[in-house]
Amino acid sequence: MSESLPKAADVVVVGGGVVGAAVARQTAKDGLKTVLLEAKAFGGAVSGASLACLGTHMHNIEELPILLEACALWQSLSEELGDSFEYNRSGQLRFILKPEDVAIAERWIAGERAAGLAPELLSPKEAQEVEPLLTGPIHAATWAPDSATVNPFLAVRALLADGKRAGVMAFAETPVERLLLDGDRITGVRTSRGDISAGHIVLAAGPWSARVARSIGLTVPIVARQAQCLASVRLPPSIRRVIGACESAGGVESGYTQIQQAASGQILFNTVMAPQQTPAGAEDRINEVPRRFVRDSIAMLTTLFPSLANILMLRSWVRFEGVTPDDRFMAGRLQDGLLIAAGDNGTGFTRALFLAQLISRAARAATDARDGFYNPLRFAGGKP
Amino acid sequence: MNARLLTCDVLVVGAGPAGLAAAAAARESGADVICIDLFARAGGQYTMQPAASDSPFHAAPQVRQGREAIAHCQALGVRMLLETEIFWAEPGFVIFAHQKGEAITVRAKTVVAATGGMERPIPFEGWTLPGVISAGAAQRLVKANGTRPGQNIVLAGTGPFLFAVADTFAKAEISLRAYVERQKPGIGTIDLFISHPSRLGEALGLLRSLRATGAHRYTGHGIIAALGKERVEAVRIAPLGQNGLPDKSRAFTIDNVDCLCVGHGFQPVIDFTSLLKAAHRHDDALGGWYCVTDARTQATDVAGLFAAGETAGIGGFRPARLSGRLAGLHAAQAAGRPLPHFGIDKLHRDMIQARAFAARLARLFPFPAHIADALPDHELVCRCEDVSRAQIKAAIADGASDVFSVKMWTRAGMGPCQGRVCGSGLAHLVASALGKPAAEAGYNRPHMPLRPVPLAAAEAALALADLPHGVET
Ligand SMILES: Cc1cc2nc3c(=O)[nH]c(=O)nc-3n(C[C@H](O)[C@H](O)[C@H](O)COP(=O)(O)OP(=O)(O)OC[C@H]3O[C@@H](n4cnc5c(N)ncnc54)[C@H](O)[C@@H]3O)c2cc1C
Ligand SMILES: Cc1cc2nc3c(=O)[nH]c(=O)nc-3n(C[C@H](O)[C@H](O)[C@H](O)COP(=O)(O)OP(=O)(O)OC[C@H]3O[C@@H](n4cnc5c(N)ncnc54)[C@H](O)[C@@H]3O)c2cc1C
Repeated sequence: MSESLPKAADVVVVGGGVVGAAVARQTAKDGLKTVLLEAKAFGGAVSGASLACLGTHMHNIEELPILLEACALWQSLSEELGDSFEYNRSGQLRFILKPEDVAIAERWIAGERAAGLAPELLSPKEAQEVEPLLTGPIHAATWAPDSATVNPFLAVRALLADGKRAGVMAFAETPVERLLLDGDRITGVRTSRGDISAGHIVLAAGPWSARVARSIGLTVPIVARQAQCLASVRLPPSIRRVIGACESAGGVESGYTQIQQAASGQILFNTVMAPQQTPAGAEDRINEVPRRFVRDSIAMLTTLFPSLANILMLRSWVRFEGVTPDDRFMAGRLQDGLLIAAGDNGTGFTRALFLAQLISRAARAATDARDGFYNPLRFAGGKP
Repeated sequence: MNARLLTCDVLVVGAGPAGLAAAAAARESGADVICIDLFARAGGQYTMQPAASDSPFHAAPQVRQGREAIAHCQALGVRMLLETEIFWAEPGFVIFAHQKGEAITVRAKTVVAATGGMERPIPFEGWTLPGVISAGAAQRLVKANGTRPGQNIVLAGTGPFLFAVADTFAKAEISLRAYVERQKPGIGTIDLFISHPSRLGEALGLLRSLRATGAHRYTGHGIIAALGKERVEAVRIAPLGQNGLPDKSRAFTIDNVDCLCVGHGFQPVIDFTSLLKAAHRHDDALGGWYCVTDARTQATDVAGLFAAGETAGIGGFRPARLSGRLAGLHAAQAAGRPLPHFGIDKLHRDMIQARAFAARLARLFPFPAHIADALPDHELVCRCEDVSRAQIKAAIADGASDVFSVKMWTRAGMGPCQGRVCGSGLAHLVASALGKPAAEAGYNRPHMPLRPVPLAAAEAALALADLPHGVET
């Protein structure tokens, strides 16, 4: 940490979560001199709190071709880096508790099948074959065999290490205080440890991206949303798949569950039944899980998996995702010299490697037809 | 699941000398008091109560003091909840706990945290071998359970607590092979007792006990390694060199050992006060991270939360009892009970004096964190998750910048003990690798639950908090 900051670079990436680490690695691999700046610890914000499921199921039909590629990139990265981050193609099971949600599930399945994927609708008995301890009173379930998980800590570590091999200069505990401007062009950043000038600044600061942009009066419509999780002590293998709630109308806000068992043996589980308020500035504090959340999460886990009713809970954590008005990432050029890859909406792990390529293309003035999907200027004029 | 919702004016967490003093003082002020402890018997460390009724320790002064403090609390009507594990607390205050399968939620106006101290382990070669135990664990085995930790015992480390453990062994008529202390008695020791002559008698008594154990005494020596295949069989020690580490060229081995008891001092238990977001600071002489309090009222910076005893900085029994009393009186006052007109000034003065003695004593036995620097790469640092020093070095080389990031990348501190055991050694190793002070390496911040909790107990205790105020179940 005693190394001094370089004075200039081609690219400065602001934020060392999974997105920033992936972007920095990509731009360095593509030949750009890259500096990665992280305010605290690499991967210590929401990336290090993640369940890091990579999947195509029940995200966005329009986005499927991108998601397919995004997931494939993770698989090849795991092969390339010698299985260093516990990539596990576990598949994903989404349970359905109410008969009226079956129609929603069928719509998702039809859309995904049309794109060449193979999700299925399962009866409770079939679901139990896929996940033997899932003996709770479910009505049906969807099954998406292509979903995988990674260890979120090790994934960031591997991206960072590989990026450094490609030339990334990475600095922890180095917050960017403001962007530097010359006329309309962003020319660099001011950090706690000095200025760096660069051809491109990439905002990958998660929910803090809006604040960094505001240092030059630029409005970025990303707000923080609280997310949290509970973990059990290590247990023998009990849950094989990623277990989620079937996405009903209203998305995350109307009820959300994710349960899986990590390679460590810990069961990670979270259920949000009712919308939660995220007080302004909460992302800068150390927070505790809401009481209601703990109760709902325990109730859901033990309803679905009655045989886990007596396990011990070991740990909880709270983090903040960056949310955009239309639930879609902002990635691409914001202004001269300024790029953004933020607004993860709670599923940024899945997309991180694809976005890294998108940002590197933008920095090298290369184009790809699909990049417009995340155009960060879509909100200009107040309308998406 | 059975569940109870209780209400009180003052909740005291911990029933050691500080907690018992706080509970009694608050009750004497007229407050309704509940006192919670993890252990099956009140008394804490110093005034620990033996399990067996025929234990030879019942006559010991510490045990008697504890017995009297407990009886006093009972006579005053303090409600004691023993074998009760707190797993969460919310400001305001709601405390969530469970006791032998029953969920307990307590609503309190004010809280005294008297959670005590715990050992401050430093990893060394062989420290995870069976038969290597902490000095405190050895004392608890002998004193509370009447169990002999081994036949051929070496007591090693540094600090006055080693004397106290030797005293325990002497009272139980257990002999010691060797006593290994880093410090040599010197001018500082003489100075200390010249300024605090009243403490000399106690010290001489402890010295007599040490002699009675028959231990060969090696002062100015440190541990290099515990040796053995399946369990500890020998201990390698050496006189300290200039750098404060054992000088390997003069090392020798104590053979035929089946138990090595190690103690290098104590650290405050701050999980509960951290959970309530009180301010903490780092001071090596106070055991590392401690909860910041006002010396007169023992108030923390969280309204209604007081801290006493070792939680507010390691100081031993006397400051614990005095600060406990101060905390209890002021916690009762904050809960609407009158403060006594007399006595506070004297309590305060005595407490400052007792802390001054403790601080000087602590300076004679500085915490030797740097002995972790000699740890071989293959040796474990975190024993819950089997993380070696080499893995920690690799994480730092990859860009880990503090205890937290090393934890993320190695799982050190993520196991059932949540860093209680490896925290101090890890902080030192991370800090020295990064060239920063230990305080800047950070610590493992506690979150819900403080200790592993059964799901059903957590759910039942949390559900009680939604009941309207004024209810007890
Ligand atoms: C419980 C939970 C489960 C999840 N499950 C999944 C899942 O299954 N699949 C999935 O795809 N996603 C999941 N997510 C979401 C996923 O973790 C996030 O979308 C992703 O990690 C976002 O990464 P990021 O790099 O954008 O953000 P972050 O990790 O927040 O990184 C932003 C970084 O920027 C740094 N920063 C902020 N300000 C500055 C500054 N001024 N200067 C320098 N640095 C700065 C921050 O310190 C931070 O490290 C989950 C999240 C949670 C909490
Ligand atoms: C192993 C050991 C041996 C010691 N021996 C000596 C000695 O011989 N001489 C000496 O002067 N000092 C000794 N000390 C120092 C000792 O800490 C103090 O002298 C004295 O006991 C401090 O009083 P206290 O009330 O602050 O803490 P303690 O006596 O440690 O009491 C704290 C109590 O709080 C309880 N507790 C902690 N957290 C929670 C929680 N979350 N929920 C419920 N209960 C909780 C504990 O179970 C414990 O009973 C020893 C310390 C240790 C750790």
